[in-house]
Amino acid sequence: MIDSNTQVTSTLLYLDDVSVSFDGFKAINGLSLAIEPGEMRAIIGPNGAGKTTMMDIITGKTRPDTGDVLFEGQMDLTQHDETEIAQAGIGRKFQKPTVFESQTVRENLELALSGNRGVWASLFYRESEADAARIEEILQTVRLQQRANELASDLSHGQKQWLEIGMLLAQDPKLLLVDEPVAGMTDAETVETAKLLREISKTHSVIVVEHDMGFIRDLDVKVTVLAEGSVLAEGSLDHVSAHPDVIESYLGR
Amino acid sequence: MTVLRALLVCLVTLLASYSTIPAAMADDLKDAINALAEGSLKDREAKVDALLETGDDTVVPVLTYLAEGDLYFRKSDKQVFLADKTGRTFSLTDPISGDVIPDISKRDIKKVRVNNNLRRQIRDGLSLFALNSRDSAKRLAAAETIYKAQDASALPAIEARLAKEQDAQVIAFLQEARAGLTLTSDAPEEAKLSAIEILRDKGGRQALSILNEAAETSEGAVKDAASRAIVAIERMLAIWNGVQNIWYGLSLGSVLLLASIGLAITFGVMGVINMAHGEMVMLGAYTTFAVQQAVQTAAPGLIDYSLLFAIPAAFLVAGAIGFVLERGIIRFLYGRPLETLLATWGVSLILQQAVRTIFGPTNQEVSNPGWMSGAVELAGLSLTWNRIWIFFFALAMFGLLFALLKRTPMGLQMRAVTQNRNMASSLGVKTPWVDAFTFALGSGIAGIAGVALSQIGNVSPNLGQSYIIDSFMVVVFGGVGNLWGTLIGALTLGVANKFLEPFAGAVLGKILVLVFIILFIQKRPRGLFALKGRAVE
Amino acid sequence: MISAFLFRGLAGRIAWVAAFIALLGILVPLSNLMLPSDHALYVPDYIVSLFGKYLTYALLAMALDLVWGYCGILSLGHGAFFALGGYAMGMYLMRQIGSRGVYGDPILPDFMVFLNWKELPWYWYGFDQFWFAAIMVLAIPGLLAFVFGWFAFRSRVTGVYLSIITQAMTYALLLAFFRNDMGFGGNNGLTDFKDILGYTLQNPATRAGLFAAAAFALSLALVISSAIVRSKFGKVLLATRDAESRARFLGYRVEHVKLFVFTLSAMMAGIAGALYVPLVGIINPGEFAPANSIEVVIWAAVGGRGTLIGPIIGAITVNLGKSWFTAQFPEYWLFVLGGLFVAVTVFMPKGMLGTLSSFSDKVKSLKPAPKPSQTEAGEMRKEGEAS
Ligand SMILES: Nc1ncnc2c1ncn2[C@@H]1O[C@H](COP(=O)(O)OP(=O)(O)O)[C@@H](O)[C@H]1O
Ligand SMILES: [Mg+2]
Repeated sequence: MIDSNTQVTSTLLYLDDVSVSFDGFKAINGLSLAIEPGEMRAIIGPNGAGKTTMMDIITGKTRPDTGDVLFEGQMDLTQHDETEIAQAGIGRKFQKPTVFESQTVRENLELALSGNRGVWASLFYRESEADAARIEEILQTVRLQQRANELASDLSHGQKQWLEIGMLLAQDPKLLLVDEPVAGMTDAETVETAKLLREISKTHSVIVVEHDMGFIRDLDVKVTVLAEGSVLAEGSLDHVSAHPDVIESYLGR
Repeated sequence: MTVLRALLVCLVTLLASYSTIPAAMADDLKDAINALAEGSLKDREAKVDALLETGDDTVVPVLTYLAEGDLYFRKSDKQVFLADKTGRTFSLTDPISGDVIPDISKRDIKKVRVNNNLRRQIRDGLSLFALNSRDSAKRLAAAETIYKAQDASALPAIEARLAKEQDAQVIAFLQEARAGLTLTSDAPEEAKLSAIEILRDKGGRQALSILNEAAETSEGAVKDAASRAIVAIERMLAIWNGVQNIWYGLSLGSVLLLASIGLAITFGVMGVINMAHGEMVMLGAYTTFAVQQAVQTAAPGLIDYSLLFAIPAAFLVAGAIGFVLERGIIRFLYGRPLETLLATWGVSLILQQAVRTIFGPTNQEVSNPGWMSGAVELAGLSLTWNRIWIFFFALAMFGLLFALLKRTPMGLQMRAVTQNRNMASSLGVKTPWVDAFTFALGSGIAGIAGVALSQIGNVSPNLGQSYIIDSFMVVVFGGVGNLWGTLIGALTLGVANKFLEPFAGAVLGKILVLVFIILFIQKRPRGLFALKGRAVE
Repeated sequence: MISAFLFRGLAGRIAWVAAFIALLGILVPLSNLMLPSDHALYVPDYIVSLFGKYLTYALLAMALDLVWGYCGILSLGHGAFFALGGYAMGMYLMRQIGSRGVYGDPILPDFMVFLNWKELPWYWYGFDQFWFAAIMVLAIPGLLAFVFGWFAFRSRVTGVYLSIITQAMTYALLLAFFRNDMGFGGNNGLTDFKDILGYTLQNPATRAGLFAAAAFALSLALVISSAIVRSKFGKVLLATRDAESRARFLGYRVEHVKLFVFTLSAMMAGIAGALYVPLVGIINPGEFAPANSIEVVIWAAVGGRGTLIGPIIGAITVNLGKSWFTAQFPEYWLFVLGGLFVAVTVFMPKGMLGTLSSFSDKVKSLKPAPKPSQTEAGEMRKEGEAS
């Protein structure tokens, strides 16, 4: 909670002492995190560390038991649902690629394209030239021009990941949450994805969750290590990988 | 009064047929009865009195027939008989031995004459007759009858009897009867006040109506006391009413539990939407019918125990059909719940029509065995045996199933498969077979439910349809995947239904419950006892 | 804007089908009324009534598929909306009887006189006016769907849970309408109608007119539905069906999407019911039976769900079969219907149209039918429901 005369920080996303438990199991435990506008942050941590749960909290899917989650210093995300949070400018890519399988790649992007989401607006929507151009541009960015009119269900796993990233771009959010974007990708695809994300981060704030150390190294950004629901270490990749706690939590298992 | 007399006559003749009369007494009695044939109408009054004096139940039919003008004597030997006209002739019944002599011509007999004075005398006399019976149960019944009929003319007789009576229970009854009569008479205030006390302690609808009348017609202390007593009785009545309703509700709940317990496995544990569940119940009921027919022809002596054969038979029949259903259809539809719903609905149509073709569209008669018919009276409650049996049977089935799931290796495998199919299968569990047997188990239990339900309702091809929606409501309300939830859900809905009925009527009550559940599911989509966490999905 | 919107609905094969149905609406009545009865193209009266009835069924099935095939909401209560529309029309027809009833009461319908009612219940006011009844045909089913959907979708009741509570809804209504004191004729429902808008219902010309009305209504509803499905909103519908929570995370208010299409569909069902009642001459509580609603689902499934033309074909085919079977082999119809449920779900999940178009090369010109396997979408949905 924050009242109006408290100072409003320039921080884009601010988690303070957030906890949530499922049937007594603390999935997130006193987690605090701050993301600055324009920043790209990598989050790593062992399986079950609570990375996905953290994204669930930010996007309104899971309500924290305690703690504050503020967006742009003023919007209390714990008080809003998924739709409102998405409309406020937080986009999300799921761990498991989820696109609209029975629709074409282009239709997927059209659905994601920023604009009025209301029932009437979508009933009477006509694609403008700007929109068409934007979709073309994104198709190029995510390297799917060739397959624009194919059903999303026909894409390969890696291509679905990209399509989902493309949908995030189309949504044009202020903050992108990307959950394990390179899981199941070939090495070549992984390198491409890192490039893609770096490109995106020029114009957006991004949080990337990933296991793949090589990928994180490619990204070359500040890293936060999560374990058992709280922050273990923060800093450059070299800094955190030298951290004794981190070594223990990764190797001690 | 006529009602009273009829009651008395019934009661007394019924009991009389059991009493054996010593020979010497029978002779005296015979003379006294035959004496009716002689003398004038005037003499007859004394003779009737003498008969009433005997306190012997045999005289009741004699006097009743006399009052109706159906008492005749045989011209040849002046012996008196009860006469019933059958066609053109009479059949005579010997009042003492009960022997019947048929086909007597009107010419051979003569009517014992009677007038209104005599009739009144007989009526009054008979009404009090049982009060002096040698059998205390009959005296009790007589006192009760007087109490119910509020017959003021019986007051002196009651007083007389009270003076002699030894049996404490009869005394209490007599006092209550007297209290009722006192209150409506012009007795002194004190007597009335104590009468009010007695009636208040007695309670019941009759006391209430007497007190109401007293409160309306009297003033002062009596009126106040009566009003207070009315409030007290009404409170008691409300409590008993509540208890009765709870029982009805629990009984309905146990029926719901039986109907939904199999669904708690197929839907709750396996997640299969089986719309043919009701038809499994229906098949169980028809199996009961078939077994009863078979026992009837093969071993009529065992007919009272045919239900015991029907239970395993129903389990096997419904279970086998469930097995085939799972292997033949449902297994192709796992992960597609809406399709499963539609396909099993189709199966339910087929099963209904099959039964209709084989057994015909009309209701079949499944009779209650002796040990399930009748009722017990319990402090103002009347509980029928079949309901009681079904209640405990439902609980027993629940307990059995619970133990099966929680305590046996088979139950362990079932739970393992439903919780994590891949893991279970990689641990060597043969998941397809576990699926099939779990489904067969749920269906078999539905069949057993059919055995019980055949005892309280019609056995028709539509039997299952009337339970399917209710069963789903119970499982969803209780919380899918939670057996306890099903138990609590069934009993709660049963009781809720019965408590709504008096205010809203049966149909509206049911509608209200449905609406309640619809709203409830929207508030708590996972039911009363929801499992939490990712495991659910 | 509206015309541009509707114009979009006329794209592709829909335009042909809609035109064909409208043409039937003109030609069949003409043939029935103008041609001599021994003419080769003459359509007899009973065929007009029978197919008129099928057309209303087709409209109902299409309305259902709009929510089921396109939005993944399996409503087992659409029969209720149909029946409510039918009752609204029935009330109008009832009041048209006037003093021609058995008891000759100028205001009260016969059943009310029979029940010793002294005055018309307030909810029967206005039904002597056609325009009022026509509004109610839309408003009552629409309102029920709106309120019901508002609760259900907001609390994210989905999948079979939703199906089961829609079934409970129609069941509750069934029980309610059976009651005499509801004021809708109880068990017997509303019947013995005399005329509609001044035209005698017994008259073949009136029947032909009703047939035309049913055909035009179906044709118009087809075009509107097609326009909806082809708009961006149609894509949102599919998105909601396939991956509800993904749609949420894209910023769509899924509950509004569902509520809109559910309410619209209920209104279409109401219209179908209103056209059905004068054609068959009776409406009774039996229309609320859960079995009726679920039968509609099978019409849509047989024809091909996730398409608009499929349910129309399905409704007509199944009902033709039903008419034929119940006349020839009455005992076997339920076996056939039951078998149909099983066969379609297990072997032909795309229905006739979907299966046909799988063979054809023109798959692209149709909306792709939903995947028979929901596994991917299903799991995705589950993920969305975790909280
Ligand atoms: N809805 C939920 N119900 C129960 N447990 C959950 C739920 N969400 C997450 N968890 C648990 O919280 C822990 C963290 O999960 P997750 O955030 O998915 O980890 P990560 O993404 O870091 O691998 C896991 O142990 C998981 O089982
Ligand atoms: Mg994760």
